[in-house]
Amino acid sequence: MLDLLYVALTVGFFALMLGYVRGCERLGRTAGEDERP
Amino acid sequence: MTWNGWFQILFFSGAVLAVTKPVGVYLIRVYDGSLRWLAPVERGIYRLAGIDPEEDQSWTRYAAALLVFSAVSMLVTYVALRLQGHLPLNPFQRPGVVDRQAFETAASFTTNTNWQSYAGETTMSYLSQMMQLAFHNFTSAAVGVACAVALARGIARRSGGGIGNFWVDLVRGTLYLFLPACFVLALLFVQQGTIQNFAHYVTITTVEGAKQVLAMGPVASQTAIKQLGTNGGGFFNANAAHPFENPTPWTNFLSVFAIFVVPAGLTWFYGRTVRNQRHGWALWAAMFVLFAGGVATAYWAEARGNPIHAARGVDIVASAANPGGNMEGKEVRFGIANSALYATVTTDASCGAVNSMHDSFTPLGGLVPLVNIQLGELIFGGVGSGLYGMIVMAVLTVFIAGLMVGRTPEYLGKKIQSREVRMAMLYVLIFPAVILVLTATAAVLPAGLAGRNNAGPHGLSEMLYAFSSVTGNNGSAFAGLSGGSYFYNTLLGLGTLFGRFAMMVPLLALAGFLAERRTVAESAGTFPVTTPLFVALLVGVIVIVGALTFFPALSLGPVVEHLLMQAGRVF
Repeated sequence: MLDLLYVALTVGFFALMLGYVRGCERLGRTAGEDERP
Repeated sequence: MTWNGWFQILFFSGAVLAVTKPVGVYLIRVYDGSLRWLAPVERGIYRLAGIDPEEDQSWTRYAAALLVFSAVSMLVTYVALRLQGHLPLNPFQRPGVVDRQAFETAASFTTNTNWQSYAGETTMSYLSQMMQLAFHNFTSAAVGVACAVALARGIARRSGGGIGNFWVDLVRGTLYLFLPACFVLALLFVQQGTIQNFAHYVTITTVEGAKQVLAMGPVASQTAIKQLGTNGGGFFNANAAHPFENPTPWTNFLSVFAIFVVPAGLTWFYGRTVRNQRHGWALWAAMFVLFAGGVATAYWAEARGNPIHAARGVDIVASAANPGGNMEGKEVRFGIANSALYATVTTDASCGAVNSMHDSFTPLGGLVPLVNIQLGELIFGGVGSGLYGMIVMAVLTVFIAGLMVGRTPEYLGKKIQSREVRMAMLYVLIFPAVILVLTATAAVLPAGLAGRNNAGPHGLSEMLYAFSSVTGNNGSAFAGLSGGSYFYNTLLGLGTLFGRFAMMVPLLALAGFLAERRTVAESAGTFPVTTPLFVALLVGVIVIVGALTFFPALSLGPVVEHLLMQAGRVF
């Protein structure tokens, strides 16, 4: 039973990280560009 | 402190300086594809795995490949450790590793942490040591270098494009860098007396007449990659204090030297890649300043010893017959200077191998490894992670310098704007957030408090060190915390995962965003990144960020413990 929990925890963590990749991409793309000389 | 001790530290520093350029030149050839002597093997791996080595990946694709590879290899290791009892090369019929330890170990080795809540010689079969743990020792090191190489490419690209190919970087780093280097280093260890065999454990009778079992095994080969890959997980529970792993002063030197070899070479590699060799040396100089400060403090604190011992009549003054200082938890063969050097280097890098017990250091001596980890292990650092951590700090440094004069900052010809700073700040903030949240959780829950071996500030230091170590992917233990419980195994395992991947993702995003930016020419207003002023500012930013984040926690741990020790109290 605990094996399933640890496997689920591992899979869940990496799924979260794949979502985090998309989140970082969005966070970067929505950043404003304010350039000064 | 002795002249002999300082000479050994200076000798080590000179050796690191001497090897920086040759290793950097070799790294250039590894990652630009010009080394081809293992081309048939390399092509075979690509064909077998269906990899297109010509693909130039975007940062999102690079990160996804890295995460998928890590997830699959971690799950395979978890299953293999659980099934260890049914697998071959298990002459002592070791049973499967318990679930919580299998999770923590799989996470820990996948992330280059190698935190161990078990004794290797009584828990792992030879197959687990050689196939599962050693596999991760090689690949996790190659993954770390791959990220640094990807970031360097992103900065070097002049107008768009990807950041390279994760699979190619992983394969080439393993094949051309770590495998051959470890082969040579393992032979040197064997020549010096480190054991390398598949023999049964030996039972001997001690001089007192007691029976003792001496563990055997393929130690030299495991030790080579654990040092070169800044992994740190020991074949033996005693790690590098074990005489079968670290039998002579030369193996001790080689061990500690091997930790810095690749990280030092990477600074030269970086300078060449971004076409600014002096900047590479500036990063090296910043790293060296922080290293020198750490080793001098640790050596001074340990050589000075414990005033409570002196008050009780113990001779703590160095002489021909007495090393003096604080020798508790240290190998007599290596003494104070080599213990302080080893503790500093292993925590400057994300290695975690130890030849002395950090828990037994004086409060200020033990503060050094703790602070080294909390600064982000960027003082030469882990293989790859040290360099990219330092580059993130360099980006923040030029950003702060830009704010001071009201200009859009540039870093090596790339404008640093909102999106780059967002990624850099994510990288910088996640690390302390994970450490402090996990430590605070342990500090208020009975399951967390039960793991302490000491009360008071020393107990807090044990918990803070453990979560700093796993989140920094260091893996060294303060040696005073009982981490073998569902609470600690699970939380420490999660700490390694967040400390590795939650920082790598924004780092790769930074690489991708910088790759997209066009290079602009330097102007009179560009902040130079090759001068002593830059080095001083960079060191200042690293220290201030670290101090602001961790000073309150450190005050409640080692700092107050030091003050209480002066008043005659120990914990």
